[in-house]
Amino acid sequence: MNRVPKHLSLALVGLLAGTALAGDLKIGLAEALTGGAAQYGVPIRNGFQLAADEINAKGGINGNKIVLVIEDEQGKKEEAINVFKKLIFQDKVLMIFGPTLSNSMFAAGPVANAAKVVAFGTSNTANGITDVGPYIFRNSVMESDVLPVTVSTAVKHYKIKKVAVIYGNDDAFTKSGYDVFKKVLEDQKIPVTTTETYVKGDVDFKAQLTKIKATNPDAVICSGLAEEAASIMVQARGLGLKAPFIGGNGFNSPKLFEVSKTAGEGTFVGSPWANTNPTPANQNFVAAYRQKYGSEPNQFAAQAYDAMNIATAALKTIKMTGNLAADRQAIQEALPKVSIAGATGLFKFRQAAPKDGKPSGYDADQKPFIYVIRDGKFVLFTGK
Amino acid sequence: MGSLADFWATYSTLVFTVGIHALLALSLWLTLSCGLLSLANAAFMGIGAYTAALLTLHLHWPFPAVLAAGAVAPAVVALVIGAPTLRLSGVYLAMATLAFGEMTRILILNLDITGGPEGLNGIPLATAWWHIALILAGAGYALARLRRSRLGRAFEAIREDEVAARLMGIHVEGHKLAAFTLGAILAGLAGALNAHFTFFISPREYGFENAVDILTMTILGGTSSLIGPVLGASILALLPELMRFLHAYRLAVNGLILIVVVLFLPTGLWDSRRLRQMLSDRRSRRGGKP
Amino acid sequence: MLEQQLINALTLGSVYALFALGFTLVFGVLEVINLSHGAVFMLGSYTAVTVMTRFKAPLSIGILAALLVSGLIGLAIDALILRRLRARHAPHLIPMIATIGVTTVLTSAAQGLFGVEVQRFPTEVLPTGEFVFGEVHLRTLELGIVGVAFLLMGLLFLVMRHTRQGRALRAIAESPKAAALLGINVEGLFMLTSFVAAALGGVAGVLIGLNFNAVTPMMGQPILHKGIAVVILGGMGDIRGALFGGLFLGFAEVLSKAYLSSQMGDAVAFGLLFLILLVRPVGLFGRVLERKA
Repeated sequence: MNRVPKHLSLALVGLLAGTALAGDLKIGLAEALTGGAAQYGVPIRNGFQLAADEINAKGGINGNKIVLVIEDEQGKKEEAINVFKKLIFQDKVLMIFGPTLSNSMFAAGPVANAAKVVAFGTSNTANGITDVGPYIFRNSVMESDVLPVTVSTAVKHYKIKKVAVIYGNDDAFTKSGYDVFKKVLEDQKIPVTTTETYVKGDVDFKAQLTKIKATNPDAVICSGLAEEAASIMVQARGLGLKAPFIGGNGFNSPKLFEVSKTAGEGTFVGSPWANTNPTPANQNFVAAYRQKYGSEPNQFAAQAYDAMNIATAALKTIKMTGNLAADRQAIQEALPKVSIAGATGLFKFRQAAPKDGKPSGYDADQKPFIYVIRDGKFVLFTGK
Repeated sequence: MGSLADFWATYSTLVFTVGIHALLALSLWLTLSCGLLSLANAAFMGIGAYTAALLTLHLHWPFPAVLAAGAVAPAVVALVIGAPTLRLSGVYLAMATLAFGEMTRILILNLDITGGPEGLNGIPLATAWWHIALILAGAGYALARLRRSRLGRAFEAIREDEVAARLMGIHVEGHKLAAFTLGAILAGLAGALNAHFTFFISPREYGFENAVDILTMTILGGTSSLIGPVLGASILALLPELMRFLHAYRLAVNGLILIVVVLFLPTGLWDSRRLRQMLSDRRSRRGGKP
Repeated sequence: MLEQQLINALTLGSVYALFALGFTLVFGVLEVINLSHGAVFMLGSYTAVTVMTRFKAPLSIGILAALLVSGLIGLAIDALILRRLRARHAPHLIPMIATIGVTTVLTSAAQGLFGVEVQRFPTEVLPTGEFVFGEVHLRTLELGIVGVAFLLMGLLFLVMRHTRQGRALRAIAESPKAAALLGINVEGLFMLTSFVAAALGGVAGVLIGLNFNAVTPMMGQPILHKGIAVVILGGMGDIRGALFGGLFLGFAEVLSKAYLSSQMGDAVAFGLLFLILLVRPVGLFGRVLERKA
């Protein structure tokens, strides 16, 4: 006689617990929060958190709150695989954002793809990422879309006849940037006087820069990350190398000016984002980020912020059924149709060409902005 | 039953990683048993991994052949560089093997065929749990037999006192080369297996930090028996998972554990002598036979 | 171009030498490969940056603070860990492994305390000014580093040769047991050495951090690898070896980048290390010890 009320109350609790949870949209976030790649992973997480908080404050998606299940993949590919598996099979998230490094996506992406769960990278720019499969998405604009425009703009402006190239040799990001630059230079028929390399973490570039100076280029093309780029430009000026720089995606960060406000004068950079882009979407993002985190956002944070909004736009069109597999599939089908005006500008997806007859994932389809550095700031290049 | 399948789906990679680490720790144990502190095993792992991956991707060899190649390639390299390098001892040998390791990594980084810094991706999944289990068990068995064989005793003699061993007629150079090469084979196998369940390899995984990791595992577990390295490898592979809640301080705890073990448990966690001592103490305390 | 490259080599070599001085001191006296030297170097740099940014202190105070903090950390490592291992007569590799653990702890602590982003020195305190001779450019800061490296080497050398403490240290390096019998306070001098070596590392951290104006938690690692090469090339435990090994490595690296290819810099460095180990393992200035059978 006493057991019945107990079972009833237990059932009630279970029902209530069930309904409380059913409203939350669990989304996995796997980024490098410690280790060498944390300098990208942490701003990315910040961008996602900022966007998620804003959306939740406005009532969430169709009344449901976004819950980010955040895991640290440490910038290591084995960890990325472990974390993906945990998010997919244990936490049972609807989709995953991340991982941070292209290398990690190559390792963990296949896991998500096989499990039919969307993996949405915001900082993976290597070639071949989306070849992994149709569940792989990214909004990080590929260098092959940005660099041709950067180079042709700079060439025209400075009347460049020949260039020297320097790039980071041991990082997939900067190396694939170099591969694109190389092709662009061949396509645009610009001879290269010399090609120099460095490794990530190097702080002394004088040997390479001295070599470059001796070949007298009209400009120096640099595929590197902002920290090294800042030092490269300062050391170049210190050696008396006056040629202007042309930078890849990695240049796009306020960090470029931390070492010197003047060394980068006249540098051309193409990118999907710059902090001075005056659109309201961007300015609101920059202000909100500054207020919440007390520091300047960078490209990584901006792309993460936009990714959250892109996913939100897709989720708004879906009616959650509670069947995990069906909901996950619905996301994969809804995402390609999304187009938004975000902090990085107008955005939509473009499916990559099929690989070996198998369908591929979705890349970013965005126009790059070309910026030139004047007075220690990125200024939109308008042709002057 | 569903939760077991879920558990396996979530943690299978982790279990595989533990197995691979155990294999690597055993490879280092083998060289240590001959008194050689070789930090080259991470590089040998890399050579095995790249050889195997390239054969799978370009020539589509069957998996067993690929594994065999992954074991043979580093062995060949070991034989070549072993002769001059093994004349060194102690810390100088460690540094020489470290330099070799870095040169290997730089070579892989700069060759086009290895994909350079972008590494090789799209390696098909070929490793099953029983591959790792079989090879690990096989290695364990072989090493256990080795310890009690003439070869193993020669290794021990060389480790204890090289000059005396030579005077006893043991061909020191040959034995050292054997230990070095056998260690390379195990490390190469570990690399080949690893490449075929992580889909993607890059030069970054076979450098100084990884060599240090392997050393840490082996020392942590203790070198007096084969169980030590396997235990150390398991703990260091599982620790990041177990301590996920510590977030950023996880690495610090790793370092702390290393310091604590070195200070207070110098023979490692699993020391057969200490365990036997503890057991016999307990027996005598209970009043039984000493 | 050659002149500029030679200057580049000189400054890079001095950077390496400065780092290697403390590193080789510990090996020479304590016979320990202290792999935490890179972490101590990094923490010296962070100390200076913090002091100069937070408290707006001038560079001299920054260097002093770095010296003290790094020195104390080195002392703590010795007192808490290395001393115990010495008492146990642990084989050489064990303290080395312990210092690996220390490095991990210190690097994580730095990441936790200071974050992972690159920190820069406040621009106001950066020494500006450079010397230009024709096509060759040399910054004042770089000249300073070269000067300090040579100065410190000379100073340490004189101390080791001509002072009581120096002679006592050399006696310990020969044989700690004999030194103890002679009444030398071996433990005390070990601790002093640890302090001084770490302090040197900290100062190196400030100067090198300033030179490249980039301070990160991981900055100690690449230079540690090079430091190992320097110390092997120059002879472990030898102060002159640290300077000449550093210069040698700097020249080898820069000239191979200049005249072979920029990819080859590191490969050449390690290749040289490998060769030296095969040909003359004790390095340029090391003493060949007789094996007593």
